[in-house]
Amino acid sequence: MDARPALSIRRSGANQLSSMGISGPLSSSLPVLPTPLEETYPKLPDSQQVSMERELVTRPLTHVSHLSSDSGVVGHIFSSSSGFSSDLHYSSVSPHEKHSRNSPFISQSSTNGASLPFTHSSHSESLESTTSSHYLKENTASWHTDSLPSFLDFPVNTSIENGQVESSNCNGVLASEEFSKWADQLITDDDALTSNWNELLADSNVADLEPKMAYQVPKPSPNFPSHQSQVHLQLPAPSGEIHAVATPSSSAPAKPRMRWTPELHEAFVEAVNQLGGSERATPKGVLKLMKVEGLTIYHVKSHLQKYRTARYRPESAEGSSEKKLTPIEEMSSLDLKTGIEITEALRLQMEVQKRLHEQLEIQRNLQLRIEEQGRCLQMMFEKQCKSGIDKLKASAPSSDAVPDSPDKSELEDSQVDHGKTVTDPGSANTRMEERSPEQKAPEAKAPQNSEPDACESNSQPSKRPRKDE
Amino acid sequence: MKFGKRLKQQIQETLPGWRDKFLSYKELKKLVRLVSSAPMLLNGSLEYGKAEEQFVYLLNSEIEKFNAFFMEQEEDFVIWHKELQHRIKRVIDTWGPNGSQPSDADCKAEMAKIRKDIVDFHGEMVLLVNYSIVNYTGLAKILKKYDKRTGGLLRLPFIQKVLEQPFFTTDLISKLVKECESTIDAVFPAEEEQRTREVREATTVAEEGIFRNTVAALQTMQEIRRGSSTYGHFSLPPLNLPDSELIQSFQLNSPIPIV
Repeated sequence: MDARPALSIRRSGANQLSSMGISGPLSSSLPVLPTPLEETYPKLPDSQQVSMERELVTRPLTHVSHLSSDSGVVGHIFSSSSGFSSDLHYSSVSPHEKHSRNSPFISQSSTNGASLPFTHSSHSESLESTTSSHYLKENTASWHTDSLPSFLDFPVNTSIENGQVESSNCNGVLASEEFSKWADQLITDDDALTSNWNELLADSNVADLEPKMAYQVPKPSPNFPSHQSQVHLQLPAPSGEIHAVATPSSSAPAKPRMRWTPELHEAFVEAVNQLGGSERATPKGVLKLMKVEGLTIYHVKSHLQKYRTARYRPESAEGSSEKKLTPIEEMSSLDLKTGIEITEALRLQMEVQKRLHEQLEIQRNLQLRIEEQGRCLQMMFEKQCKSGIDKLKASAPSSDAVPDSPDKSELEDSQVDHGKTVTDPGSANTRMEERSPEQKAPEAKAPQNSEPDACESNSQPSKRPRKDE
Repeated sequence: MKFGKRLKQQIQETLPGWRDKFLSYKELKKLVRLVSSAPMLLNGSLEYGKAEEQFVYLLNSEIEKFNAFFMEQEEDFVIWHKELQHRIKRVIDTWGPNGSQPSDADCKAEMAKIRKDIVDFHGEMVLLVNYSIVNYTGLAKILKKYDKRTGGLLRLPFIQKVLEQPFFTTDLISKLVKECESTIDAVFPAEEEQRTREVREATTVAEEGIFRNTVAALQTMQEIRRGSSTYGHFSLPPLNLPDSELIQSFQLNSPIPIV
């Protein structure tokens, strides 16, 4: 039976960990491992396994990069609260590699109470479930209901193949590539995460904890768009983009989404024409002719289908949103006079549409600018309170703590300190609120420039009382 | 609930195929309520974590939904754009540069069809941009609510991420829209002021056409921005449409109920 060798490996792993100074519950719960797997899998972790939960949550992530053989299993790792066994296994299989990474986590967990790691795990799990669902789009339905045996199989598989799995990436090359890149990125970001978690663990103040955890949750998510943009860089198609939705599975093919641009489409049309028209061209032929990196046959296939529909059945194509007969069309059957009326009606429609588009553009720009300003304000408040706290600590106030004009590169640093609450932002906030209703939509850049200045001048008076202390 | 209501209205009046592609605002609000009501105990709360997890999960899957739909539509638009150009070229090649020669009925028919298609194409693209903005606004609002209710700081990083998403980067579509507008100017005959006024009076938008949706979208946008109870530095100023009387004059009959 497969479970036996798995168990033996786990035990050795447990011994390793206990030698690192892990608390008792770990080894005592080991013999009952198979059953907790079944019991606790669908539920969130209970207090028993709490102390181990936290670090094993990141383990599965790194695991994933080495495993792409079974989507169900991968899904399992993510959602399983008893990835406990996988963690032990992981550490046992490649202790020399990741040992250094293991110890900080484990020693941390042993020193800290059960409370903090518990919520961390649920958060990190949400991380994984969020992100994994993001990526395992095809399998989101399946991974919750996937059977246990495959999970038990997993440790055995990796024990054998661990070193080789990376190279022996299976079908869906793009998918597994994406996946390992993604996991790699998460690994490289692990350092950042580690430091954050160290911060969090050291900080026993719960009030701070919540915002920080809330921050934690989306943090890896922003990695994904950037990961996607990484993908873009690596696959420089003629202004085409691939948005990775990796599905590491042996059965389902990879289906990253392609963003078609006019240039790419032109290349497509060229290829199709060379092959004798849309009816005669085959996806394979077009794909070959186009020679675009990262373009798969599925992209071409679906695009070709759309193209054919557009060419030969324009009514059904352009009316894809089930447009019904408008009054304009009802008039259309007749003579010249009606023709002019139709044209005029069309012109009217056009006018309204243009108007809407104008307004949309304005609104969009506004929203972008508002976000921009919001970010700058946030950053300045943080700088201010940071310097304010510094002032409180230091006896000699430094006069060069005045914030400069907003510098975007400092934004990341400031974001880390967001947990601190200061009263000053509140007052400056209301001042901003009073000012914003006065702004009307199509104003020039002037308000934007004056706002930061205004903020600076606002921060000055608030600093002075402190200085006088 | 004001935005929620407006959103619902807009969804109701939008093109049928788009109805389920909009933001599930109500769902998200429920989750926010759940998160804010879950007790935040010192030793960490299971419910809170779970609720937050659900919220973020839903947000991400919504964004994925937007992206998928948006890129799908974008692809269609790219194709049609090229197709329209091709058709116009064909007409010009077949019947000479002036497409409105009264002698050739086929030519006229084709030109009429092309004009209609272009205008509808333009309209649909604009509606897609509207879709993008409405959903973005919804996301911004729900995140603001979340932060307010739970004291979390989810909003800022999340919005940064949203700004980079494909569904929000509507530059290509806007470019196509502008190109369309210039094409239309070339394809339409010179405007006659008198007729325009007549047609204007007679128009009532009855069915679920693109025109109707455009008008609805404009009205909704105006109403959404009319004035907010929670005015902050993230709020948009009210919308001042130059032709608001014109827009209001379009009578939108109640839509045919969909069973």
